[in-house]
Amino acid sequence: MWILDSSGRNGVDLWYRDGSVKCRHHDYDPPFYLYLPDPPAFHEMIDALGDQYRAEACTFRTLFGDLDGFSVYAGRAVAEAIGQQTRGDAQLFNVDIRRDQRFMAEQGLYPCGSEGESRYSPDFRYDLRQVEIRIHDPPSRSTMCTEVELVHDRTELLRGREHTVAADLFSFLEAIDPDVILMSQADLWMPKFRAYALDRGIDIPLSRTGNYREMDSRSYWSYGRVEHKSAALIPDGRVLIDTDQSFVYHEGGLDGVFMAARLSGLSPNLASRLTPGTLISSYEVYEAVKRGIVVPFRKSDVEVARKFTDLQDADRGGMMFQPVAGIYGNVDEIDFTSMYPSIIVNFNLSPETLRHTGQPGFLASALEPLAALRMETKRKKTTNPRYAGIDSLLKWMLVTCFGYTGYRNAKFGRIEVHEAITLLSREILMQTKNIAESMGFYVLHGIVDCLWVRGTAVERLCTEVKRKTGLSVENEHFDWIVFLPLNNGFGAYNRYYGRLSDGSMKVRGIAARRHDTPAYIRTMQQEMLAIMATASNPAVLGMVRDPVYRIYCNAVQNLPCAPPTELAISRRISRTTYARRCIEGAAVQVHRDAGLEIVPGMKISYVVRDARTYRVDPEWTAERFDLSYYRGLLDKAWKEISYAFRWGGRDTCGEWKAQKDLWSSEHSVQQPERVADVCLNEPDEHFP
Amino acid sequence: MRIMLRKGITLQQGTFTAVIAPEPVILSAFNENPDLGRFLFLFLCGNYSRILSRINRTSSNFEIRRPFTADQLLTALKEASHTVIFIEHDPTLFDGADRLLVPVAAALRDAGHEALVILYSEVMDRSFAALARHADRVIEIVHADEPAYRGQYQSSRPHRQDNVPNPSQKTLEVF
Repeated sequence: MWILDSSGRNGVDLWYRDGSVKCRHHDYDPPFYLYLPDPPAFHEMIDALGDQYRAEACTFRTLFGDLDGFSVYAGRAVAEAIGQQTRGDAQLFNVDIRRDQRFMAEQGLYPCGSEGESRYSPDFRYDLRQVEIRIHDPPSRSTMCTEVELVHDRTELLRGREHTVAADLFSFLEAIDPDVILMSQADLWMPKFRAYALDRGIDIPLSRTGNYREMDSRSYWSYGRVEHKSAALIPDGRVLIDTDQSFVYHEGGLDGVFMAARLSGLSPNLASRLTPGTLISSYEVYEAVKRGIVVPFRKSDVEVARKFTDLQDADRGGMMFQPVAGIYGNVDEIDFTSMYPSIIVNFNLSPETLRHTGQPGFLASALEPLAALRMETKRKKTTNPRYAGIDSLLKWMLVTCFGYTGYRNAKFGRIEVHEAITLLSREILMQTKNIAESMGFYVLHGIVDCLWVRGTAVERLCTEVKRKTGLSVENEHFDWIVFLPLNNGFGAYNRYYGRLSDGSMKVRGIAARRHDTPAYIRTMQQEMLAIMATASNPAVLGMVRDPVYRIYCNAVQNLPCAPPTELAISRRISRTTYARRCIEGAAVQVHRDAGLEIVPGMKISYVVRDARTYRVDPEWTAERFDLSYYRGLLDKAWKEISYAFRWGGRDTCGEWKAQKDLWSSEHSVQQPERVADVCLNEPDEHFP
Repeated sequence: MRIMLRKGITLQQGTFTAVIAPEPVILSAFNENPDLGRFLFLFLCGNYSRILSRINRTSSNFEIRRPFTADQLLTALKEASHTVIFIEHDPTLFDGADRLLVPVAAALRDAGHEALVILYSEVMDRSFAALARHADRVIEIVHADEPAYRGQYQSSRPHRQDNVPNPSQKTLEVF
């Protein structure tokens, strides 16, 4: 039974493909579990639960062992009331698990897979009718679409008045009867479609029952920044993916969405709208239910009391080695594959194994097949790009599985596990550094799970590291790499770029990589990097200095004539009100004035008209821009590139600083050869 | 066991006190009171403490627990058997957990029957106000040379008072 969609209203509906798409309803009304440390103290409440609902004494299995309690056949509201009445004494389990997910986990079913197939197989197949709807109107400023591209067996272009285009679109969808709809900004357009349909008394032909499930919008913190998720209308019996807003689709494509659904036991509609963190959490919930372990409703187990020094020792995060800013030739980056998940698996880390180290841990055993699957897709994607999407999804899920061990609402998280992982990672990175140095390598830089080293026979080093740490490593060879400096001159941890041995560039933390860089500036830096990528070694890098500099000169020269839209800055706003005047605050205000509903985490795009007086325009109305402000941004981007040529780093371009060799001759055995030697005697007259 | 916050302001064992004060005031109350090291001290804070790293914590009686949710704070309070229980208020613990304001306040009160319980925040917020309503005492300390604390919900944007000329204004406003 290939399950395409599922919902948990009044039982469970499973939509499956068997020639055509059919729906099967299952009566399913599972209980939640209640544990009371002192049941006689609450005997009246227990009696009332038995009378009004159905409460039966039972034993259930938690992560930390069996508990004698009650199964209560009631909903979340009753569970909340119990929590309130017992003033937090009651422990509640399996209260907030999605009914369809719980049903499938208990029955051994999962979405997007055939019977007899492994849930962890990346080689799954599907035979679904797909359409892609590309709506070219901006959803935030249009009441209805006027220009739509519909891609199925052929491409239809629908253009015209609002009601005509919508009517045509609906007719096409009805005729095609797709199983999967990929739609740009679907979650923003669907409410408009619904309002339009209600207005005319017609149905939107997206749901196979005419019903839609609603997901609320919300803003939330994720990795230090505010994100926003739009509300969504989810059709029954069809997969509707918002191609612009779905992170999972963006990273993993349709294969990634289906794999996320298979692993988490959630419908693809839902899986495409969740973050990797929620997906890994859902995966753990599915695994727990499948193994008969109850899932806590609200976590009340706090960390143990600790002395300050113990806390200081434990709570340190990942290890970093600061690089010396500069340019280096022949560098290898040694990267641990899925380091944190591998540590969890290899060292059997789980909340319940912190004190009972002998028993197999739930978290470790749940993540083991996921980590193995990632190894498989990582290997396979090098020869077959079909696996790249699944691999990317798994990468994100595994990245967040570590963070979730310390997340306050994680069902199976615990801060001590989080700390144990980082402690082990620090030890492993130090061990790797020591192995490298003992084999004659020079360690240039290190960030948590990777090291940049110089030396010969790096394969031997990788084998040795793998043997001693038990973790998989891979390496990438850089023909040359630039570690950029901080303002104080020391090397920055996360700003570097370099040429890989396959001729491509790896770029981190510079303008070309940042999301808020205007297209005009990003293009300039990308053009420069493309030219620099032709330099196969540090010695040749100096030769491309002139053409790279010319790109900068042209960019400066053409800046006054650049289209304002090319200078739009896209930012995710973290707040909607600002105490002080600032450009971001002004941008929020102009978007609000333009009639947009502003929520934290939302992305806005604006052009700075006058930075001094904080005047900005929304991207779509911008006609002018602040030349000096954008020149500043341009110069900043140029500075990141010019550092590779040891430019003076000032805005006046007349200086050419001779490279200084930072290492003295006594380091001759291990000292990295720096590009400096190449650029030393380049004539000044190359530069105006 | 007592802690002097300021001259004449003393916190005593067997009370639950809510304190709003600048960080230096609360830090000096702890750091300049060597007697504190003799008592079992429990410091409760969320994920990001603003004062923990500046408290003199050489004493072996100083213990820390970091509840990340209101449920965990409740558990920590119920399990506490220390002489001094200091809670650095973290409003994010109560995001979406208003239902626990009353149980937590009751737990603070219960703990305050035996111990010296201090609920501390530098600024007032909604959840702090709800918890402080159950305290035996609420103490707010403001530096004499500083303007009185402006609540979170009051606009912090510079605004012009009617009778005070705008300092950036170069011409007379009214002719």
